[in-house]
Amino acid sequence: MADDIILETRNLRREFGALVAVNNVSVRVKAGSFHSIIGPNGAGKTTFFNLLSGTLKPTAGQVFFKGKEITHLPVHRAVHLGIGRSFQITNLFPNLTVMENIRLACQAMGRDNFRLFRSHRAFRQYEERAWEIMGKVGLQDKALMLARALPHGDQRKLELGMILAPDPQLLLLDEPTAGMASEQVPELIALIREIQTSGKKTIILVEHNMNVVMRVSDTITVMHYGEVLAEGTPAEISANETVQKAYLGALYE
Amino acid sequence: MMAERLKKNRTRLIVLGILAVLFVSASQGMSTEDWVITVMRGLAVGAITFLVAAGFSLILGLMDVLNLAHGEMFMLGAYIGWTVYVRPDTFVDALTPLLLLAAGLMLMPVLGVWLGQRPLPGKVNQIWPWLGLAAALALLIYALRQWPLAMWNPGVFAESPATFSLAMSQGTMQLPAAAVATGLSPWLLLMLLGLGSTLLAAALVGMRLRGQTAVSAPYLSKSPLILAGGLALAGVFIFALNDGLTAWLYRLNHTALFALAIVVATAVGGLLGGLIESTLIRPLYKRPIYQIMLTLGISFITIELVRAIWGRPEFTMPKPEMFAGTGAGCGREVVSIVERLANQCATIFLFNGRIRTYNEIFIILMGLIVLVGVWLLLQRTRLGMIIRAGVQDSQMVEALGINVRRVFTLVFSLGVALAALGGVLAAPSIGLSNGMGGQFLLLALIALAIGGLTSYPGAAAGAVLVGLLQQFIIKYGQLGINLPFLAEPFKPSPPLVPASTVLFMVIILLLLPNGLFGRDE
Ligand SMILES: Nc1ncnc2c1ncn2[C@@H]1O[C@H](COP(=O)(O)OP(=O)(O)O)[C@@H](O)[C@H]1O
Ligand SMILES: [Mg+2]
Repeated sequence: MADDIILETRNLRREFGALVAVNNVSVRVKAGSFHSIIGPNGAGKTTFFNLLSGTLKPTAGQVFFKGKEITHLPVHRAVHLGIGRSFQITNLFPNLTVMENIRLACQAMGRDNFRLFRSHRAFRQYEERAWEIMGKVGLQDKALMLARALPHGDQRKLELGMILAPDPQLLLLDEPTAGMASEQVPELIALIREIQTSGKKTIILVEHNMNVVMRVSDTITVMHYGEVLAEGTPAEISANETVQKAYLGALYE
Repeated sequence: MMAERLKKNRTRLIVLGILAVLFVSASQGMSTEDWVITVMRGLAVGAITFLVAAGFSLILGLMDVLNLAHGEMFMLGAYIGWTVYVRPDTFVDALTPLLLLAAGLMLMPVLGVWLGQRPLPGKVNQIWPWLGLAAALALLIYALRQWPLAMWNPGVFAESPATFSLAMSQGTMQLPAAAVATGLSPWLLLMLLGLGSTLLAAALVGMRLRGQTAVSAPYLSKSPLILAGGLALAGVFIFALNDGLTAWLYRLNHTALFALAIVVATAVGGLLGGLIESTLIRPLYKRPIYQIMLTLGISFITIELVRAIWGRPEFTMPKPEMFAGTGAGCGREVVSIVERLANQCATIFLFNGRIRTYNEIFIILMGLIVLVGVWLLLQRTRLGMIIRAGVQDSQMVEALGINVRRVFTLVFSLGVALAALGGVLAAPSIGLSNGMGGQFLLLALIALAIGGLTSYPGAAAGAVLVGLLQQFIIKYGQLGINLPFLAEPFKPSPPLVPASTVLFMVIILLLLPNGLFGRDE
């Protein structure tokens, strides 16, 4: 396997009863790239992410991260290897403050993870790291607000910050702009882009806003009924006739 | 800001106000003595209820598991505590096989990984777990029947638990003859027990693995191995030191023995909770209905087990001497609380009301210690932080790189340990019966409904309210309430006591659907 492939799946398949949600998906993701996955609702994108992060076990096939098989690794182990993921539905701890949310995320990765009975304030370095991350996602001045009191756009930024806490090399972002007002979308995408380039991270993004995807992606994978319909650069994808028929056409009708 | 908050909590404030008025007017109707006694008893019932409710609500909040066996874990704590306290010889004899069994079951995750990598050909795969299970049970039963165990006999009154309790409280307890092994050598039995437990664990794992495909590179955690080794080693040690240990325990004073009973019952509760979660509940996290049926099943099995071992009749548990003094220095003329406590009197006087040092003072004190301890754990430690976060969103906790399963096991174990602690604390006060579990689970459920299902302060407040309400109604059953338009004072009869707490819960829920302290979702 080439060194610059950070993530690879081989014939990944997942069934839910009779339904095949992910069917023989083999994808290679280049390290440091911005890789988007598009496809209509129900195409299997979220299921695919769940297979990558370890939330779901595949019916068949394998997942490799940096050449090492991780197919059956529990979620928390995958996080420790450097895979972070966000969820399609915002996942936060609504009754904790922004600061507490991020500090918890920082502490989760500490080497002394199971010295559980230590005071949660005993670790100064986590506090500092939390401020650094809040700076990155632009939430420093809202540090003491309860997460549930944040506007939706800020909640998604907070979620991004929490995923960044373990300093993952690969980020799986499942429709991070879902539910956001359209004028806020470019800001969040720019933030993601900034995180990718400045931190030399790899991004796999599920997104339905075509303009956004075409503009920022290095590679695009199109999924349809659980299968990979096409893969290529934005230019190749927009020129691809099968894709246009099956997907783009339907969207722009 | 302030006005908005007031408005949001208006119903809550009104309800709290009405409760305060009710409490004050209920207090007007009785003498100070009666009032002090009633309030202290209410708080004591509240403390025990809280110990059951706190664990139940933590488990429900974090894992969405409705643990209907929680009451029976409370009961088991009482019976185990009684055994350590009244029959330490039985406890020492039984400890070795139980520790070996627990060690075997601890091996299940490790065996799961090991067996998962070695798939057998189709037919064998289907059949061996059943054969293994049969063999394991046969082996265990064979070895246990011959195991030297000195025990009571619930079928014969002279050897029943009640008789031993009586003997202990009268100070006529004799060290019963130690059991001697008949048949096989105990060391051989020891090995059979170890083998049987491991085989049992393997067969249970095999059942689960049937029909699954081989796992290529699964993740293996080492902690179960270490724990299993430690338990097995402890079992063997205790067996080797059996006679000496028994004699030593018999020579201990009752207060120290009671402290040991508390520790053992709590620890067994914790161990059992961890075992139940990791072997039985874990495969069912995505199937809530089955989960409820499972915990209900565990509760019935536990009751039957308790009946088989300790018998159906109720019996008492003597109080440790620290709380049992009645002779010199404890007469009516000694008023000073400090002096009476120093004399280890059974009762003290508070505003002329006679308060029992064990039933009221000690139990309330223990309840307070646990209340503060668990609160500190939740608010001040990393584990507590993770638990609070997990109650809100356990999926996200996992996505942050925390082993949520381990936290689940830990919290289940903590919850059951608290229930067992409640049981052993309650036993000297309310006695031991097969129904005590159900009785306190009901009280705990009512307390949680009133306080807010998954709120920790709610559990405490609800438990205290339920305890006070119950005791006030019982007291008024004796005193009678002077109601307008009635010639005779109205006396709530005993059957009205549980009905009134349920009624109270219904009223609170109608006004505040999330309970007094619950947050709305
Ligand atoms: N846990 C599940 N159980 C059963 N079917 C599921 C489950 N998760 C997803 N599916 C089904 O799998 C298909 C793919 O879903 P999903 O991966 O969520 O698609 P996408 O994210 O692309 O919209 C859908 O038909 C969905 O109904
Ligand atoms: Mg989706």
